[in-house]
Amino acid sequence: MTPDLRVTIAGVELVNPIMTASGCCGYGEELAEAFPLSKLGALVTKSITLEPRLGHPPPRTAETASGMLNAIGLANVGIDCFIAEKIPFLEKQKTRVIVNVAGSTQKEYVEVCARLNDCPRVDMVELNISCPHVDAGGMEFGTDPAITERLVSEVRKVFSRPIIAKLTPNVTDITVIARAAEAGGADVLSLINTLSGISIDIHTWRPRLTKNRGGLSGPAIKPVALAMVDKVYNCTRLPIIGIGGIATANDVVEFLLVGATAVQIGTALFVEPDAPVKITRDLIAYLKAKKLGSVRELVGKVRKY
Amino acid sequence: MNRYTPERVPIVSLRHLSRDYYSLKLGPWSRVGQCRPGQFVHLGLPQSDVYFRRAMSIAAVAVAGKELEIIFKVFGKGTQALSHHRKGDILDLLGPLGVPFRPPRMTETCVLVGGGVGFPPLYYLASWLIERGFDPKAIEFFYGGRTSGEIVERSRIKKLGVRFHPVTDDGSFGVKGLVTEAVETYLTENALRRPRLYACGPGAMLKAADDLGQRLAIPGQVSLEAPMPCGFGVCLGCVVPLRAGGHARVCREGPVFEIGEVLL
Repeated sequence: MTPDLRVTIAGVELVNPIMTASGCCGYGEELAEAFPLSKLGALVTKSITLEPRLGHPPPRTAETASGMLNAIGLANVGIDCFIAEKIPFLEKQKTRVIVNVAGSTQKEYVEVCARLNDCPRVDMVELNISCPHVDAGGMEFGTDPAITERLVSEVRKVFSRPIIAKLTPNVTDITVIARAAEAGGADVLSLINTLSGISIDIHTWRPRLTKNRGGLSGPAIKPVALAMVDKVYNCTRLPIIGIGGIATANDVVEFLLVGATAVQIGTALFVEPDAPVKITRDLIAYLKAKKLGSVRELVGKVRKY
Repeated sequence: MNRYTPERVPIVSLRHLSRDYYSLKLGPWSRVGQCRPGQFVHLGLPQSDVYFRRAMSIAAVAVAGKELEIIFKVFGKGTQALSHHRKGDILDLLGPLGVPFRPPRMTETCVLVGGGVGFPPLYYLASWLIERGFDPKAIEFFYGGRTSGEIVERSRIKKLGVRFHPVTDDGSFGVKGLVTEAVETYLTENALRRPRLYACGPGAMLKAADDLGQRLAIPGQVSLEAPMPCGFGVCLGCVVPLRAGGHARVCREGPVFEIGEVLL
C-alpha cells in the first residue's frame, strides 16, 4: 500500500508536504516546464511587493561551500502585474498556491495582502519578514517582536485565509519572534530564511556581491535550520514549515522529525529542477521501508537524548 | 522528459588540448538533435563535491552518434573538477538551454569574433552554417588569445575552409594585438559583402566588439557569460542590464543578445 503523504496545514490539505521555497521558482512558469506542478504540495511564489522591483545590480549570487549567497533584492513584477499576468497561469495549476509578500513598510504588506484576499486562487500568504539583503523593510520586521506582532495583526485584518510568517535566523532567539507572530494571529510559521553572509574575491578585494552582504542558503545551512525548527516546535502550537538546505528525502525526514509538518525546497531547485518529484518518490520509499502508513507519523518524533 | 529534465550522460572522451584547455565529449544524449549554435548546457558533476551546475557553451554535436562536445578552460573549482574526470564517468545534463544565434542570410558575410574560451560557440556556428550550404569563404573567423597556446583547435578551424585570422596579445601566433582591433582594421581595409558580427569572449573583448558593431553600423549578436546558479530562469542571478531599461536573464533571454541591446 502506498503511504499517505497528505498533510493539513491551518485547515488546508496538501497532497504532500513538499513545497517550493520563495524566490527559487519565480511564479511557477519555468518550473512547470520541468514537471507538472500538481506533484507539489504547494507552490510558493517569489516575494511580491506593491510596485515592481528590478532588484540589485549584478553580480547578485555567489557560490560558497555547499551553498550560495544571494542578494537578488526582491526583484518582482509587482502586485498589479502579478494579478493580471501570473494569477491566470496559476489558475490552471492543480496545486496549492502560497503567495510570498514583502514590503518596505507595514502599509505595503497590508495593501498587497488586501489585494490578494480578493484572489480566491491564493490559498495562503507567506509574509517575508526576514529578507536579509534589502535596504528597507524585510528583516527589520522580523527581528523586533513588537513590530512582528503588529505587522501580522494588521495583515490579519485584511486577509481571511491562512497567514504564514517566514522567520529569519538572524536573531538572538528565534522563539521570541515565533511567539510574537503567533500573538499577532499567524496561522503557520515557516523557517528559516537565509543567514546573513559575505564572500570576498581575494584578487580584487571586492565582495562577490554588489550589495556586499547576502543571504546564505543551500545544504550548508541545514543543521542550523533543523536546530531552529526544533526550538520553535517546542515553544509554539502553530504548524511549522521547515526550510533550509533540503535537497533529499532524508533531509525532509529530519525536518519532520524535529517538528515540521511540511517543508520547502529552495536552492536544490537550481541544481535539480525536478528535485520535488525525486524527493517525493524517495520519501515514499522511506515510509515503506519503515512500514509507516502516513508521513504525519514522523512529525515531532525525534528521539532526543 | 524535456530540456529542463536532467539526464545522466557518460563521458566518451576527455582530451587535453593545450595549457588549461580541454575537449569533453559526452554521449549518447537524447537531446543532441535539438541543439543550435549559441545554446549551452548546464552541466552537473554528480561524482564530485561541486554542488552547482556549470553552464558550458556547445562546441560541436554529432547528431548520428548523439554526441555533444564542449571545449572548456580550467578556471575555477568546477572546471578543475571536470578536468579530473575520465572516460565513462557520468555527468548530469540540462539543456540545450538559451536562445541560439540568429543565422546570417546566405548573402551576408559572417564575421566571427572569438576571444579565449569564447571561441567554441563560434566554431559550432561556422560548422553548422557550412553543413547547411553556407560558403566557408564568406566566414571570417577571428580568434584572439593572450599567446599562441591559447589559440586551440587551429587545424579544425582551418579544416572548415573559413578565412582564419588568429590574433595574439604577444604576437606569438597570427597578428599581434587585440582581436577587436584586428577586426576593425580588416573591416575598414576590406569591403566585405554585408558583414554580420558574432562575438563571444571575455567582458572587455565583448564590449569592444559591441562598440565596434555600433560604431560601424554592422549588425550582429554577442554571446554573454554570467554566473548562473539555475540556468533555466528561476533564480534571477544571471541578469544583465539592458540599454532600454530593465534586466534580462542571460540564461533565458540570452545568452545571445543583439549588438547594442545590453549595457556591457
